[in-house]
Parts: sequence; C-alpha cells; structure tokens
Amino acid sequence: MSLNNLLLLLSLVLIGWYLSFLASRLDRLHHRVETSWATLDSLLQKRAALAQEIVQESNLDPATVYLISTSATSARYANMSDRSAAESVLSESLKLVLDAARSNSLQLPSELLVELSDITSKIKIAINIHLEAVVATKNLRQKLFIRVFRLAGRAPLPIKYAFENDVLENN
Amino acid sequence: MKKIRIGMVCPYGWDTPGGVQSHIRDLTEHLISEGHYVSVLTPITDDSLAHEDYVVNAGKPISIPINGSVAKVLFGPVASSRAKQWIAAGDFDLLHLHEPAIPSLSLLACSAAEGPLVGTFHVSTPKKKAIYAIGPILEPIVEKLTARIAVSELARFTLKDHFETDAVVIPNGIDGSRYANAKVIDKYSGATTVGFIGRFDEPRKGLQVLVDSLAIVSRFIPDIKFLVAGPGDSSEFLKNLDQQLHNRIVFLGRLSDEEKESFLRSIQIYVAPNTGGESFGIVLAEALSAGTAVIASDIPAFKAVLENGQVGDLFVNEDSADLARVLVALLKDNERRSKLAIKGKLSAQKYDWQVVAEQVESVYEMAIAGGQRVSLSSESKFWSRR
Repeated sequence: MSLNNLLLLLSLVLIGWYLSFLASRLDRLHHRVETSWATLDSLLQKRAALAQEIVQESNLDPATVYLISTSATSARYANMSDRSAAESVLSESLKLVLDAARSNSLQLPSELLVELSDITSKIKIAINIHLEAVVATKNLRQKLFIRVFRLAGRAPLPIKYAFENDVLENN
Repeated sequence: MKKIRIGMVCPYGWDTPGGVQSHIRDLTEHLISEGHYVSVLTPITDDSLAHEDYVVNAGKPISIPINGSVAKVLFGPVASSRAKQWIAAGDFDLLHLHEPAIPSLSLLACSAAEGPLVGTFHVSTPKKKAIYAIGPILEPIVEKLTARIAVSELARFTLKDHFETDAVVIPNGIDGSRYANAKVIDKYSGATTVGFIGRFDEPRKGLQVLVDSLAIVSRFIPDIKFLVAGPGDSSEFLKNLDQQLHNRIVFLGRLSDEEKESFLRSIQIYVAPNTGGESFGIVLAEALSAGTAVIASDIPAFKAVLENGQVGDLFVNEDSADLARVLVALLKDNERRSKLAIKGKLSAQKYDWQVVAEQVESVYEMAIAGGQRVSLSSESKFWSRR
C-alpha cells in the first residue's frame, strides 16, 4: 500500500472516531435534557398541587385565594409554549403566602410552609440543571460537523424556558 | 432522601492541609452520618500513615504551582486506570468530583465516567489566568457534569467566565459547635491578643500588611500581642521590624485542629489581611462561629462573608495604616466588639454543615432523578477492552 493510501485510511478512521465521539456526546446531552425536564416538570406539578392545598388550609383572603388557585390551575394545564409564563405567575402569587407568613397574619399548618420552601429550593436547582443541559445541547448542535453529518437526527431542538430565577427567591 | 452510594474524588493530596481537602472530609463524614455510603478517591503522599476507612489511595501526587500556591495533584495513565477500576468496582449511584476543571484526578474520573456526575468548583481566579485556560479541550469533559456547585458567588463567576456555564452556589460548611465550645487556652487569650492563621510565606495571605501595622498599633496599645499560627519562615517578616517590637509577635507554628479551635475562641480579634485569590475565606467563618470579632481586608470574598461589614470590620486591602486604625478602634471598644462577635456568630450559622449538607443532598437528588447510575463511559470501555 502506498503512503498516500495509508494516510487516507488513517484520516478516515480518525474522522470516523471523531464523528462517533461527537454523536455519543450529543446523545448524552439529549438524554439529559429529557431527564432533567422530567424532573423539573414533576416538581412544578407538585408545587401547583401544594399551592391548591395551601389555599384550602389557610386563612388567606378570598382575593389571594382566587389568584393563587387560578394561577396554579393554569400552570398545571398550560401547554409547552405558555408553561414558563404560567409558572412565573404562580411563583409571584405564592410570594403572597410568604408575605403573609412574614407579617404573622397567616394561619397555616407549618409543615405546608416548610414544604413550600423546600420545593422552591429544589425547583431552583432543577431549573439550573435543566437550563445547563439545554444550553450545552444547543451549543453543540451548532457545530459544523454535527450539522453537516446530521448527527442530531430527528431529535427536536430543545427549548430554552425563560424561567426567571428572581421570581423564585424565597427569603 | 433515600440512602445512596456516593463516589467522591479529591484532586489534592489527602495528607496535605488545605481548604478543599477539609471540605471533602467534613462533607463526607456528614453524609456518612446521614446514612449514605461514601468512598473518597484521593492522592496520598505518605501511605504508611493510617487514613479514614472511606479513603481510597490513588497514588502519590506531584507538586505543581496553581493559583499562586503549590498544589499536590495527580494524573497520568496509572492514576487514570486506578480511577477506572474504582468507578467500575464502586457500583455508585453518583460521583461527586471536586475541582474537575484542573488537571487532576477529578478530571480523570470525570472523563472516565458516565451517569449522574456532580462537580464542585472551589477556585476563583481572574479571567484569562492560566488555570482554566485550556477551556475548549476540557469542554466535552466538563459538559458531562449533570449538576455544578460553586462554593461562592466568586467561584460561580469564574466558572461562567471560563465555560459559559452556571452553577448552584452552596457555600462551604463548617462545624460551628466545635469552635463555639472549644476550650479557652491561657497562652492565646488576653485583652490585647490578635490572631492570624495561614501559610504566611505566601504573599497573598497578607501577613506583611498585619506586621506593618504593628508600629502604629503599638503606639496606642503598648501591650498588643500578635499571635501568628501556621507553617512558614518567620525571619523574613522580623527583618524589617523595629527590634523593640519583636516581642510583640509570637509565631506559634502549625496548630492541630483542636489547637486551632481553641486559638480562634481564645483570641480577642481575628485579622484576615489576605490580599486576594480567596474565593470564600473559610477561616473567617470559623473565627465567627468561635464567637470572636473579625477584621478583614475588603476583598470581595471577605466582604461577602462579613456581609459588607455588618458582622465584622473591613479595612482597605493592603493598607496597613487603615488596618491599624480599625484594629485600635475595635480593641478599645469592648462593647462594640462583643456585639460584633455575637452578630458574627449568628451569621456564621448559615455555614454549618447540617445546612450545607442538606443543600448538597438536594442537588444529589436532582442529579439522580433520571434513574441512571454511574458506569464507565463508552469511550473508556472501548479503550480498556483487552
């Protein structure tokens, strides 16, 4: 075999290895986008359910009860494109519960309040983890090799939800 | 949270004192007391000494300069295959890698593993400094981390600068009660004792600033006593100092953990004159939980711990005259000093390991929520095939 052929073979092997490396990297990321979203989604569902429970058990005024309960419902049934806006509204209205708790006017079983702050801090972490996976996936999918060889296959481009971290502040 | 099997990787020599190592030791012991199984893979310099049961030796580290100090790290093919063996045999639910972005054992473990990986970033360095400079090469490896933890806002910004990724901030924890209940020892206590702890021959620890302030401080408080703890060569600092002031500084050498706790509790004021390169300042939080008033340079990390001067006094960084001013004022005002100490002790509670470990556990919970477990990555399986 001539040197040229050998070089050609070697570069083909290298390119093949690189492509499979990129593909497995991308596959890992896609998988992470899905699992992190599933985690986040279940936490958000839990929070909406908790919000309903809180308004039922508390002595909040009717206006607040109405606000929290409707925003919880709309967060629960929002479709994907409206989801983050609906969740942000729920975060905002749940702040009213914390405000009431701070001014000592709230009557609520304390375990519900603990559960709320617990779930809020978990949601923060879950958002962080999910967004990381989304950003990393998007960045990788912009690579020339990945686009040219269509390594992403038919996987949909992940959506970056505009969760605002500040609406989740709970202190 | 359900009990899980955690593999922890320490990048630096286990038997060399350092903030990262004690962070890992405390976190590990706390997690074990919570009922988790933890195994720590770490380089060890002297394996003839006995180490904790949970420690797994990965080999002898070598010394390389990182971030202005000398770090003892380990890498290379032998270390890499040890890391792979440890991962394959460990049957872990999750790996927790400390400082995975510097050339170290953590990086090797991160590249060899697949599944739920959590990384903790301790370093904070100004942009473009060499340590994370190999960003693009490391990207595919760092990208594998399911969740990232930064030990301070500063460490988080460093991470953002270098990798464009975000992290959850969980500050270092300390066992506050150990300091609060430490024994007061006579040779450290007294109305005018000021303490300092650190490897003081590193310029960034700022001992020079403290020594320079002595001339002014001693004019107002003649019986002032500076107690300096930590390893290093003291003659450098005494050379330029007035002969008459030599007896005002006592070098104590390296203290044991127990001595350190008593030291922090016994002194009147703790001074941290560090000039930079700190990301958290764990010793400040330790002094605060001992109930000792604290004065620190106004570098960002210290300002954050002292809540902008609310729970401890700040002085202009590298300005020994300003340090002298603040120090004299606080030593003379007993009432304010004890108030400051009480406020400081309260604020230090948030660094307690109990709280910190809980936050770390919720990160673990999120990271393993996908139901995967740790395994060797497909690439490294391929290469280790015989």
